[in-house]
Formats: sequence, C-alpha cells, structure tokens
Amino acid sequence: MVNFISIDDGRAVGQEVHDPHPHRNQLANPSNPCESIPFSLTPTSPLQSTSVPPSSRSPRLNWSEQIDTGSSIYSHVLLSISKDSTMANTIRLYLTCIRNTLEAAMCLQNFPCQEVERHNKPEVELNTSPELIMNPVLICRNEAEKCLIETSINSIRISMKVKQADELENILAKKFLRFLSMRAEAFQVLRRKPVQGYDISFLITNYHCEEMHKHKLIDFIVQFMEDIDKEISELKLSVNTRGRLVATEFLKQFI
Amino acid sequence: MILLQSPSRFLLQILHDRLLSQDKGVDIDCQTVEFDDVRYHIQVSMRNPKVLVLSVALPLPPEEAASFDGLPFGAIEAIKAAYGPVVQILDPPKDGFDLTLKINLAKLPSDEEQKNAILLQIASIREVVLGAPLKILLKNLSMKTVGPEAGQPVALVHRPNESFFVVPQADKATVVYPMRFLDSIDIVLATSFLQEFVEARRTAALNNAPACMWSQSPPPELNGAPESALTANAGFVTFVVNPRHVEGKKLDRTVWNLLTFHAYVSYHVKCSEGFMHTRMRRRVDTLIQALDRAKSDAEKLKKMVTGPSFKK
Repeated sequence: MVNFISIDDGRAVGQEVHDPHPHRNQLANPSNPCESIPFSLTPTSPLQSTSVPPSSRSPRLNWSEQIDTGSSIYSHVLLSISKDSTMANTIRLYLTCIRNTLEAAMCLQNFPCQEVERHNKPEVELNTSPELIMNPVLICRNEAEKCLIETSINSIRISMKVKQADELENILAKKFLRFLSMRAEAFQVLRRKPVQGYDISFLITNYHCEEMHKHKLIDFIVQFMEDIDKEISELKLSVNTRGRLVATEFLKQFI
Repeated sequence: MILLQSPSRFLLQILHDRLLSQDKGVDIDCQTVEFDDVRYHIQVSMRNPKVLVLSVALPLPPEEAASFDGLPFGAIEAIKAAYGPVVQILDPPKDGFDLTLKINLAKLPSDEEQKNAILLQIASIREVVLGAPLKILLKNLSMKTVGPEAGQPVALVHRPNESFFVVPQADKATVVYPMRFLDSIDIVLATSFLQEFVEARRTAALNNAPACMWSQSPPPELNGAPESALTANAGFVTFVVNPRHVEGKKLDRTVWNLLTFHAYVSYHVKCSEGFMHTRMRRRVDTLIQALDRAKSDAEKLKKMVTGPSFKK
C-alpha cells in the first residue's frame, strides 16, 4: 500500500492509493486509533497522481511518484519552495509533517517474538515478517534533508539526514552526531549507529511508550531535530567569530 | 590568553625563584618541553649557586633550512648581543641538546628594572635563537638593504621537519607559510580560520597590517623552493612585511609573531575544538532533561528513593 501525504498549511491529510501487496495487513489496533492519518488497508483504484491546488502563500506541493525499491515501497513527500516563501516556513512545515506522521505511526503494542520463545524483539530492526511491518514513510525537505520513519507492531525507527552545506558544516555535523550517538545509553531512544544513508537514528519501542507520555516523546523528537540544526549553526558561528577575533588580534600586533 | 607569549613561563619562574632564594635553596634539575619540539633543561647545583646551566633543544630542521653547527644562522651572534657578559655559551652542548648556556647570576645588573629585563630576555631564549635568521633578514629590510639572497626564497625552521619561506627584497619581505595539519578536522577548521585572516585584513582598522593572502596552491613566490616544501593540506598563507612593521621596537615583536604563526593558528584550532566539546556536552544535558520531562510521573515516582514520607 502506498501512502501519499500532502501538506497543506501544516495539516497532513492522508489518502491511500492502490495496494500492490494486498496480503500486507497493518494490525490496526482498535484501542489506539490513529489521530490524523487514516492508514487503511483496502485496495482501491489504481494509482492516480493528483495535484494539490496551491494556495498563494504556502509552498507549492508535489505529489511524488512511487519508488519501488525491492519489496518496500516508500511514500514520498516533497516540499518544493515557491518563490515567495522563505526557508523559515519550510522548517515549520517539515517539522509539523514529521510530528503528524509520528503521532499517527506511534501506535505500539507489546508483541512477543513469533519465532523464538520468550523473546521480545523490536520487529522493525529484524524486518523478517512482512505482516508486522508497516510501509515506511520518507519526508523530504529538499535533496539534502530528509526523514525516514519505519514502523512495526512494537517499535518505530526514525532516521534523519541533516543539512550539510559546506565542508565546515559537514565536519561539525559529523562530530556532533557522533558525540550524541556515543551517549545513546543516556538518551534511551537513540540508536548507537545511524541507519545506512542517514546521519542519526532513533529506535522507540513499546516499553518506551509505556514509560513515557506519547505526545511528550514526540515533542522530544521534534525538539531534538530543531536543536541539532540550531547547534550546528551556532557551532559554525562560533568558529567564524573566533577566527575573526584571532585574526584581528594577530594583525593588530603589527600596527 | 589569545597571543602566544615570547618569554617562557617555565624559565621565568625558575629564574625568579632562584634569585629570591639566593643562598638557601636546593639543587634544581628540571626538563620541560614546549610547543613545536623545543626542550629546556635547567640545572643548578649548590656548589655554584650563582650559576645556572640552561640547555635548549631545537626542532629538527628539514633539508632546505641550512643550519650551521646545529644552530640557526646568526644564533651565536644574537645571543652575545642580547645577553652580554651574563651568559656564556658552552661548547659542545650537552648530550641531546643543541645549545648549552651558563648563566652567571652574579653578573646581573643591580638595577631592578634592568635585572628583570635581562631575565625576561633569558626566558625568551627561543625567540633569540630560532628567530635569529629571520631577525637578520628583517633588519636588512628596515635598513632597506638586501643581503645576497634577494629575490630567492629563504627556508627557515619553525616546526620539526617543516620550514616557512621568506623572500627578501629591497622594499618588502614576503613570508609564505605552507600550512600542514595532521587531523582532518584540524584542516577544515584551520582553513576557515585562515580565510578569516584574509577577511580581517580587509577591514579599515587594519590597513597598516601586513597584506595577507591565502591560496590552496603554492604562490608564485615559492618558485625557487624545493618540491617537498610545496605540499600543504591547509593551503599557503602569504604575508607582505613592510619596513614600517620592523622599525625600532617593533622588530622583536614582529619576529616572534612571524616565527610562531603556525603554532598560533594550531593553538586556536585546538581551543576551538575544546570549546565545541563543552557546548556539545551542555546540549546533551539539555536534551536529556527534555527527555526526562517526557517520563510519566508514575515512572518518576518509582525511580525516586522513598524517604520517610510516602507520596500517593
């Protein structure tokens, strides 16, 4: 099943299109209704790409095409920026989209391992049984920044790729994210190694959801993303400021 | 401390302590290492309490920087000129060192200010010895004369196995530094710092400072230099020094600043990395606090140590 998510003024509205794998059933949990996005299962009419009529002020939205990567099909959300919107708008939109997707996707329940007795494993990491895994959702802000959300019955994995404009931002981001990943123990929901192709990953299991409030956990994830961006730009600013100061002091010696 | 200081604090401390405790006191035998592979060894024995023996080891020069008897060109004359009768050079130097001096504290001038000035000068032995060739070149510049090497790059040592180049001419001297760093993060940070040098020079307040340029490839001034010196992973920095920068009192300061330019940049790159670590740790603490807020109160209660009062 393919899920297309369109973003219009920050609200995410879901629509499903055709389902090439009708046997894949999301185990809808009746006790945990998803709030905004109805991920329903029934196969409907074949794929139709529709376009959202753009409002004058919000960024123009594109329906993305299906990308068939092996057995998993990603749904894409692309935010393309129209001329009169600013970067500040897209970050809000991006984070709101992620928040809404997480609110819908974070319906986790305890599920003991089917293959091994008395074991309880996060199914999203194992990826063995197709009936336990939901379709992954990929939310792209632009080519450089994206967020992949993979859900299963008892765990959810969120992977982020952070914007790295130039060489300096590249090493700062790498340094900072490695610093965070090494302290994954303290963060509990952080994964020690990011998923291939991404910069940092979270793994949230049903146990975390039991311990912590779901909306606060989502708040934390979104705040984490904002903080990373802020921290990297502040580090870059501090390097440039220090460089300016060092240079001025040195050259003043000659006057 | 933003700028690197010329007198070595280690030496200054020992000299002052020795002066204060003239007759009482113990034998001193200390070794220390400073940045860029400069080692000091200072010895005082109570048999001759007025005499200090100071040995200095200098960074290993690369092939292109000529050294006469293990010391930079003009070093011996510079020492004699700077210290006079207070200091005597011992030949041969102690094992493992390049220069040994015998400092006679009895011959220090009695005037307090002059005494302190000489001690400061002794503690700046590094600047005197390593900076001797550069000082000669810059002195020629201030007198608007040129030695035999006009127009050719002269290689001078500032780091172990690395040299920087000075191209002396009648009206200016061009100093070129190939900047090399071992760590890849250092390279990126240093490149951004060096580009700030070029930017800072453009501001109006620093119009009198030496002109400053940075380039990734060797600049044309280095055309006569050997191949091995022409690779630099953080680019090449060029300063153009005018006679105005080396007249009178400014000569010593200019020599020190140019001699320790690479060390200065390297020092600030490391400080910058340290600062980044501090910031990152603070940010991690903030995020963990945010996560703790997400925990439900029941969980927090379970984890709290229950004291004599029990909250329901």
